[in-house]
Amino acid sequence: MKGFGYLVKEGFKNVWSNRIMSIASVCVLISCLILTGAAALFSINVAKMVDEVGESNETIVYIKEGYSQLEAVYVGKEIEKVPNVASARFYSKEEAFEQYRSTLGDSLFSRIEDRNPLPDSFIVVMHDLSQYDDTVAQIQKIEGVDPDTILNRKDFADKLTRISSLVTIFSIAVVSALLVISLFIIANTIRATMYSRRFEISIMKSVGATNSFVRMPFLVEGMVIGLISALIATGALALVYQGVGMVVENAQSMFDFIPYIDVLPYVAAAFTVFGVFVGFCGGFLSIRKYLKMEGNEILGW
Amino acid sequence: MIEFQNVSKTYPNGTHALHDVSLSIDKGEFVFIVGASGAGKSTFLKLIMHEETPTSGEIIINGNKLSKLRRRDVPYLRRHMGIVFQDFRLIEKMTVFDNVAFAMRAVGESTATIKKRVPYVLNLVGLKDKMKNKPNELSGGEQQRVSLARALVNNPEIIIADEPTGNVDPELSHEIIELLNEINSMGTTVLVVTHEHELVREFNQRVVTIDHGKVIGDTRSGRFATGASEDYDEDDYSIDYNEYREESGYTGEREYSDDEILESYEGLGYDDDVDEAGTAEDDAPQYPDNVVIVPDDDDRLG
Repeated sequence: MKGFGYLVKEGFKNVWSNRIMSIASVCVLISCLILTGAAALFSINVAKMVDEVGESNETIVYIKEGYSQLEAVYVGKEIEKVPNVASARFYSKEEAFEQYRSTLGDSLFSRIEDRNPLPDSFIVVMHDLSQYDDTVAQIQKIEGVDPDTILNRKDFADKLTRISSLVTIFSIAVVSALLVISLFIIANTIRATMYSRRFEISIMKSVGATNSFVRMPFLVEGMVIGLISALIATGALALVYQGVGMVVENAQSMFDFIPYIDVLPYVAAAFTVFGVFVGFCGGFLSIRKYLKMEGNEILGW
Repeated sequence: MIEFQNVSKTYPNGTHALHDVSLSIDKGEFVFIVGASGAGKSTFLKLIMHEETPTSGEIIINGNKLSKLRRRDVPYLRRHMGIVFQDFRLIEKMTVFDNVAFAMRAVGESTATIKKRVPYVLNLVGLKDKMKNKPNELSGGEQQRVSLARALVNNPEIIIADEPTGNVDPELSHEIIELLNEINSMGTTVLVVTHEHELVREFNQRVVTIDHGKVIGDTRSGRFATGASEDYDEDDYSIDYNEYREESGYTGEREYSDDEILESYEGLGYDDDVDEAGTAEDDAPQYPDNVVIVPDDDDRLG
């Protein structure tokens, strides 16, 4: 297309000459992008957590209080007889105590060392996770197994999944609302530019500019706004994510957040595509009206 | 080149702007369209530019029926016309050069062509020295010449001037029409809408008088029907154009061959490479190359 460079340049000029409105559009679009991005990252992290928990084929089986360690070993033999159980490793209450002490610190545990509240347990590994429920039921029936204290990881995973899908639904709602708002604001921004340039539009039409030619600078304007928003939002989301990540990791060392650098290319690409697309649509929607008008109608005379 | 066949136009608000107008303008003609405010001159121009479509009747430009024109081909129709507005319609923040170049950019001309063509056309209208000035640094006459240069720059077949002298000092009006005359002598069809009767008389050209939406006069001698009055008597004031043509042997055709017209365009410094490269336009219908319409009345005034 001849004259393409000129039209693109005009588009950039539009952004600058209408900068107050452009900044407003950029801000709204950034909020939209950050919220979308944050919701997506949350879902990804929860999914990862669910995978880690749900796919671990280990489960812990507590032994009833009052069983000696020798008796417990016999209970362990029974557990191993259950089909689908690959192994049952004895995990003594002392071992468990030391484990907690090393993660959570000495000061708390030294005081209760002589009255260890933890039960003996077995770490049971299964062959086939899909039979998890059956296997657990069978283990629970074994004499000496505390049926209430089997740590049912599946429940935990299910709970996480439920939270995750709630968050997904909620964020889809928020993001769609924001998407409509961004589209509206961008369309209005471009409409304002168009209004200030209606004189030029009317001249372009009178000398025989095609619709795609008249439209181009405004589409470029929208896409530039989208691109700027995407760049800023990518950076801003990094800060937000790292901030949240630090808080969560301090509180709970068991879970590793996906590092931002791993998702950065996807975030940047998704933001760019999304931002540019919204900008394009905004431009397209707002110019439609002008393209249908002729001559003095455009000028409002 | 431009043919109106029983064209009527009624606006949605019920205004009957034109009634059964039939008219033919040939290639290379110079035509004044005169009439009082609200007579239908603006509608006439809008119909030619396809800004409005007739309620009934047919308009044929360069053998193409406008009723058959597809929406996306309208821009290509307009590229055959250069429009000069009463209020100049220059972009204040742009220099004279850019104002003229704008029309070329709008149709996708290359920068190289623009740089060559714009100074040439500005020279033609005598404004080569003012290329870097802004419109508000120019007189009304000069601004109108910039507007004319912009209309000419894409080398249209028709120049349409809508009251080109309306905002110009009387002494400069003559100069503007003179310029249009010169352009016409190079083969471009020129339509000038005006209500300045003095000017019309001076130039002894074809005059089409419109009143109350009807063509009430069509003469070749610079005479025009004094319409707009109820007791207007057609026999007294107007000569039927077609009769006139027969009587005088005037055919409406200038003595230009196509080759001559082409030559005169090359003389305007226009690059023909546009046509070679303009493959996108190949499927567009062919329209007149040289129509210029000059409007006379303005809705805002009436």
